[in-house]
Amino acid sequence: MKTRITDDLKAWIGREETYTAPEELGRAAIRYFALALRDDNPVYCDADFAKRTAHGDIIAPPTFVCETNQIINQPLDENGYIGHHWPLPLSSSRFIRGGNEYEFFQPVRASDRVSVTWKILDIHERHTRKLGTLIFVVSEARYINQDKNLLAINRETNIYSP
Amino acid sequence: MTLAQAKHTDDAPLGDTLPTEEITLDLTSLIVYAAATWDFHRYHYDVTFVKKLGLPAPFVDGQMIGALMTSRLMRWGGPDAFVRKIGYRQRATVYVDETIVISGNVTARTVENGRRCATFNLSVVKADGTAVVCDCVATIELGPE
Repeated sequence: MKTRITDDLKAWIGREETYTAPEELGRAAIRYFALALRDDNPVYCDADFAKRTAHGDIIAPPTFVCETNQIINQPLDENGYIGHHWPLPLSSSRFIRGGNEYEFFQPVRASDRVSVTWKILDIHERHTRKLGTLIFVVSEARYINQDKNLLAINRETNIYSP
Repeated sequence: MTLAQAKHTDDAPLGDTLPTEEITLDLTSLIVYAAATWDFHRYHYDVTFVKKLGLPAPFVDGQMIGALMTSRLMRWGGPDAFVRKIGYRQRATVYVDETIVISGNVTARTVENGRRCATFNLSVVKADGTAVVCDCVATIELGPE
């Protein structure tokens, strides 16, 4: 079966993109994210309660830092999307998520100003009878705060169909 | 996902089981999550747009599934807990108004760097049993030894 991995596509392996939030995360954003998860855990919204925990202050639900659209600060595209994407040389930009591996190194706080660096670790393909040749793009995002403390790493695989 | 829809079906107090939870992801749930994460893509609310793409309905951001699992682990672990790792492969897209069932159980308890940790296997399935994720393993730190 014919490969879909061209030299142009291979050249994207190792590419990086860094974005820094224009402001601190803020307590309201943390409370909003917890609300979206129907999560009333007071560690995300009650400062007096959070002070008495091991965290010492309000923290964000762990995966919140991996939702970087608000960090990226760019205009909406024609479909409403404002987040990071790799403009890969593929016939279609549609993909499905193959999976995520999150590692959290320290809780994220309202005062954190987050930077994220995305990197493409690997691009490979798999031939399938049903769906044709699928392209797997493995990316890593590393999140740090204003003090350069590592907050989290998110490795994700996106699968592009023909 | 109203509170009434997020009902506990198996209230194992603490112990080695994550309380099984059914969550119906209605359009309001998708929109609130999309807005809270600044994800305004039509995928998550525009029925006409997604049908033109050949999809049956607006769909749930895959990261929301990870966020829900992590949230429920944090709730299980108590106020001093912190999830250190969670990884999974995504098997099925969840569409608006589908119900997912989150469950999990502890497979190991360890001490790492003087901190008590629990390792979980987690499962997310649709109401008809279709797996939404597979190979889902998480580690949560619970506090000092």
